[in-house]
Amino acid sequence: MIQKKICMLGSFAVGKTSLVRRFVDSIYSDTYHTTVGVKVDKKVVALDDREVTLVLWDLYGEDDFQKMRWSYFRGASGYLLVADGTRRATFDKALELEERARQEAGVIPFVFLVNKCDLAEEWDVDGGFESQLAAKSWTVLRSSAKTGENVEEAFRQLARKMLG
Amino acid sequence: MADASTKRAPSESAEEAAGNGTGSLEELRHLILAPEQEALDRLQQRVADPQSRTADVSDVVAEAIQLRREQDGDNALRDALAPTIESSLRESVRKDPAAIADALFPVMGPAIRRSILETLRAFLESFNQVMEQSLSWQGLQWRVEALRTGRRFSEVALLHSLVFRVEQIFLIHKKTGLPLGHAVAPAVATEDPSLVSGMLSAIQDFVRDSFHTPSDQGVGRMNVGDLDVWIEHGPQGSLAAVIRGIAPHDLRDRLAETLEAIHRQYAAELERFDGNTGAFQSVNPILAQCLEARYKQGAPRRGRRYVWATAGVIVLLVGGWIGWRWWQYHRWSELVSTLREQPGIVITSFGREHGRFAIRGLRDPLAADPAEFVKDATLDPKSAAFHWGAYYALDDAIVAKRATAELAPPQSTVLMVENGTLLPRGNAPPIWISDLKRRALEIPGIRAVDFSHLAIEDTAAFGIARHEIMNTVITFPLGSPELSAADVASLRTVAPTLQHLFVPPDGHADTILEVVGHTDSSGAELINESLSQRRAEQVARMLAKLGVPETSLRVKGVGTAQPLRPDDSEENRRLNRSVTFLVPVPQSE
Repeated sequence: MIQKKICMLGSFAVGKTSLVRRFVDSIYSDTYHTTVGVKVDKKVVALDDREVTLVLWDLYGEDDFQKMRWSYFRGASGYLLVADGTRRATFDKALELEERARQEAGVIPFVFLVNKCDLAEEWDVDGGFESQLAAKSWTVLRSSAKTGENVEEAFRQLARKMLG
Repeated sequence: MADASTKRAPSESAEEAAGNGTGSLEELRHLILAPEQEALDRLQQRVADPQSRTADVSDVVAEAIQLRREQDGDNALRDALAPTIESSLRESVRKDPAAIADALFPVMGPAIRRSILETLRAFLESFNQVMEQSLSWQGLQWRVEALRTGRRFSEVALLHSLVFRVEQIFLIHKKTGLPLGHAVAPAVATEDPSLVSGMLSAIQDFVRDSFHTPSDQGVGRMNVGDLDVWIEHGPQGSLAAVIRGIAPHDLRDRLAETLEAIHRQYAAELERFDGNTGAFQSVNPILAQCLEARYKQGAPRRGRRYVWATAGVIVLLVGGWIGWRWWQYHRWSELVSTLREQPGIVITSFGREHGRFAIRGLRDPLAADPAEFVKDATLDPKSAAFHWGAYYALDDAIVAKRATAELAPPQSTVLMVENGTLLPRGNAPPIWISDLKRRALEIPGIRAVDFSHLAIEDTAAFGIARHEIMNTVITFPLGSPELSAADVASLRTVAPTLQHLFVPPDGHADTILEVVGHTDSSGAELINESLSQRRAEQVARMLAKLGVPETSLRVKGVGTAQPLRPDDSEENRRLNRSVTFLVPVPQSE
C-alpha cells in the first residue's frame, strides 16, 4: 500500500479546509487548526490500477495572529498551494509560500489552486496568470470548494505527480 | 599454473632490462617463494571463483549457523534471515501457491486446532474471571455501574480487574508521520491509524516548536483519563503505545527494545521509505508482541470457595423464592376454588398481573364478601386484586337473600326459595302478606310464591281492636242520619282502641276500616240506600275527627241489603237503623 503525506498551503481563509472537507469526511474537529495548527485527514485515491492513500495535513493559514508551522511540512511528498481568486494578496502570498516550500523540502510536486472560481466576477487577479505560471511548469487549476469544481481533479493530479 | 607463468613473465623482462644483473636474485627468490606464490595464486583463484567459493561455504554453512546460534542465540540469525525468507515465501506463493499449500497442508489442521484451543482457553479464563466477579459484592457494584454507564458488564469487570493493557501500538515514520505498522488488542475501538499517526506526529512537532527542543527528542508520554500514550523515539521511527491502566516501567524497556529491533531489521527500508508500506507488512506481528495485559490476581482458593458459597446462597434464594411463589399460587388457587363454589360469584379469570394475583369475575351484591374468605385463609390481601362486575344471580340462596332484603319479613317468617319459587314459612301479619303478594314477583329470580306454609298472624291489640270495633253498633233514630250524643260518646270511647288497628307493631298501616250504613225496611228502598250512605259518612267524619286516618276509611251504605237482625220487631228495627264496622283481613291463598 502506498501512502503519501500532502500538505495544504495557503493564506488564511483561502478555502483550504473547505477543499479538504469537499474531498474527505473528517473525524477531527476544525478547532484543531486554531489549537494545534493542523488537522490531519485521509483520502484513498484510485489511480489506474493502484490505490494511493493521501494523508492530508491541512495547515492553518498564516495570518496576522498566527504563523504557519513549517515543521508540519516536513516529510510531505507534495502539496496543494491555494490562493483566493478574489484576493490578490493571497495570490502573492502563494508565490511566497512556494518559494519557502522549495527551501524547506526541495522540489516536490504541487498543484496551484486558484480557489473560489464560483465568484469569477469578483476576481482580483489577471486572467493570464495560468499561462505565466505554466511557463514555470506549474500545474494551475481554477477550483471551487463550493461547487466542487476541480477539487477531486486537483488531488488526483497531485497524486499522479507524486507517483511519477 | 598458467597465471603463474604469466606472473613470471614481467620479471624475466625486467631481468633482461637490467642486463641480467639481478638474474640470480630472481632465480633465488623464485626458488624460495614459488611454492607460496603458487599457493596464494590458487587461493586467489578459489576466492575469485564463485563456484569454488560456494562449494567452500556449503561445506561449513551448517556448522557456521550452529556456531552462530550458540554464540548469539536465535535473535541475530533470525533477524538476518527473516526478510529473505519472508520475501522468498511471498515470491514462492505468488508464483505457485499450490506448492506452499501442499507443504503447509499437514500442519494446517493441528495449527488451526491449536489456535482454536488457545482462543477457547483465553475465553474461558476471561469468562471465569467475569463469573467470579459477577457473583461478588464488588461484582454487583460493577453491574450497577454497567447499568449506569450503559456499558457491558464484562467490559466494566475487565476494566476494574485490569492492572494495565496495551491496547494499541503504532509504528510511525518519523519524518512523514505516516503509519508503518499498527497492532490492536482484541475488542478495542480504533480510529484510522493514518490519522492518529499524523496527529501524534503533529503534536510532537507542535511541542518541539513550542519549547524549542532538539529534533531527536519529543513527547515521551501523554495522559488522558485512564489512558496513557507512551512514545519511544528512534532515528527513523517512533513507537506509540496506547495503554489503559498503570503499566510497569519495564514495559518502556520492552518498547525501546522492540523499536531498536525494528530499526535494526528494517534499517534500509526506513531509510528509503517513500510512502510504500509494503516492506513493513511483517512488522505488525512484532508490534503485536507488545500488546501486553495484566490483571489483578485474587486468592484463587478463597475466591473459588467464595464463588461457590455465593452461588449456593443465590441458588437457595432463587429456589426459596420460586417455592414461595408456588406456595402462594397454590393457596390463592384454593381460595379461587372456594369462591367458585359460592353462590352469586362467577370467576372468569385468575392469574398474575404486575407482580400481583388478579381475580376477575362477576359478583352479586348479596353474595359472600371475598375479603372475608381472604381473611379466613390468612392470605395477604395486598398480594391480590379483585375485579368484579355486578350482576343478579339466580341461585336460590341469593334470591332468598334478595327477597328477604326487599320484603323485610317479620321475625316469625322465614323466606326460602326453591327453583325460583318463594316459600314463606311461619306466621305473618295480614298486611305484610298483602304486601308480599303485591311485590314478590317483581323481585329478580322469583317466578312464583307458595303460601301453603304461611299462617296469618293476628296480634292481640289488633285483634282486640278489630273485635271491639266490629262489635260496635251506632244506632240512629228513624229516618235520621244524625248522631246522638250517646253515639258520639260511644265513638269517643272506642276511638283509642281503633288506633291499634293502624299503628300495630308489625306495621298494619294499610288496615282498612269499612264503615257500613244500614236502615230498617220501612220506607222506600232508594231513600234507605241514601240514608244508610249518609249515616255511614256521618260516622266516618266523626271518626276522622277522633283521629282515624281518613285514607283508611271506606264508607258504604247498604240500605236494607245487610240487616243486622230480621226486621220483624221494633227492637230489631232499631238495631237495623245503624252503622256497623268491618275490618277485612287478607286471606292466605
